[in-house]
Amino acid sequence: MNKEKNGLLGFLTLLIFLGCERDDICIETVTESPDLILLMLDFENPQNRKIPSGFSIRPIGIEKLLPNSPSDSLTLPLKIQENHVQFEFITNLGSENENIDTLQINYQRFDTFINTACGYRSNYVLDLPPAIILNPGSNWIKGVTVLKDTISDETRAHLGILH
Amino acid sequence: MKHAHIWVFYISLLGTFSLSGQQVEETIAVNDSLTVKEKTPLALRFGIDLYNLGRSKLADDYNGFETVVDLRVGENFYLAGEVGQVETTKQIENVNFTSSGSYFKLGFDFNMFENWEGMDNQVTIGLRLASSRHELVLNSYSILDRTRFWPSSDFPITNGYATGLRPDLNAQWFEVVVGFKVQLIKNAYMGMSFRLNRLLNDKLPENFDNVYIPGFNKKTEDNKFGASFNYSLTYRIPFIKK
Repeated sequence: MNKEKNGLLGFLTLLIFLGCERDDICIETVTESPDLILLMLDFENPQNRKIPSGFSIRPIGIEKLLPNSPSDSLTLPLKIQENHVQFEFITNLGSENENIDTLQINYQRFDTFINTACGYRSNYVLDLPPAIILNPGSNWIKGVTVLKDTISDETRAHLGILH
Repeated sequence: MKHAHIWVFYISLLGTFSLSGQQVEETIAVNDSLTVKEKTPLALRFGIDLYNLGRSKLADDYNGFETVVDLRVGENFYLAGEVGQVETTKQIENVNFTSSGSYFKLGFDFNMFENWEGMDNQVTIGLRLASSRHELVLNSYSILDRTRFWPSSDFPITNGYATGLRPDLNAQWFEVVVGFKVQLIKNAYMGMSFRLNRLLNDKLPENFDNVYIPGFNKKTEDNKFGASFNYSLTYRIPFIKK
């Protein structure tokens, strides 16, 4: 009987420890929702990356600079609540040849479950057409090319801008 | 909620201590009285879980009902079971969902408490196999976006995309049950039981998880243990007397 009593107490003690739930936190190593990775490519030779002179990108709808400085490979944050996002692509910034092309990137979103602490990760699929230039005439961007239409990670580029 | 659990645990601890206190007296008593063993009548007890009932009354986001049954088949051996139904809406971290469904648990209780002549109390340890049929509705969720460039990315997603119904789910698990029942008046018992649940198998909802299973309660991602308890009031129908 004594043994049983000890066993019982042991079990009840075990219950409180297991009853104390571990705090669920979203661990830093969990990959967040991906951004679009863009390459600036040479129109004549699309295999080659080429950075435009005096290159700059301005997001439309927010007074904020992009987190990374423009180069031949850049990440563009997509809007979760909408299925398109617009940026101004500027070449020869500040000079008399300054040329601004407004580019709209179109996509569909799908969300995948991570866990309750992290919530969901948003992924995107580039729409058709993946990107359109909104301003008419004298465009310095000659075209776009889809490198990978599903944006679910940031391991490789998704879209190329030909210029 | 967690506080309530801890409270009831302490109360139960007091309960077990006071019961074992009686036990010591009992052994002394047995020594100087005639050891007449009462024949064990087969008896059916049924009742309801008052905890579920109270919680349904007090909380807007919880609606549950559980009936408990046991059948005495041996001197210290009871076949036992529970049948219940739960509908609850919960916000756990970054997801808000409604879980609803029914469950049943079937198993046995073994009484370790030796009663004094005329008493009928139990301190039991038992096992249950349990099964649920349920569905989940994902009401809203947040998207993991630590850098948050666009301001609107904070808003939770409340319709479309991954939200919506996940029907036809089920889960199976077993429970180790420790409990006691105290006879209040003839044929009426108050009882409490604590359960440690271990998930055996579950049908996962698409693009989501069985975060809350009726009868099993919260399921955490990497830990398949759950815990639950009930506080029951039961009535005995002695239907066969030897």
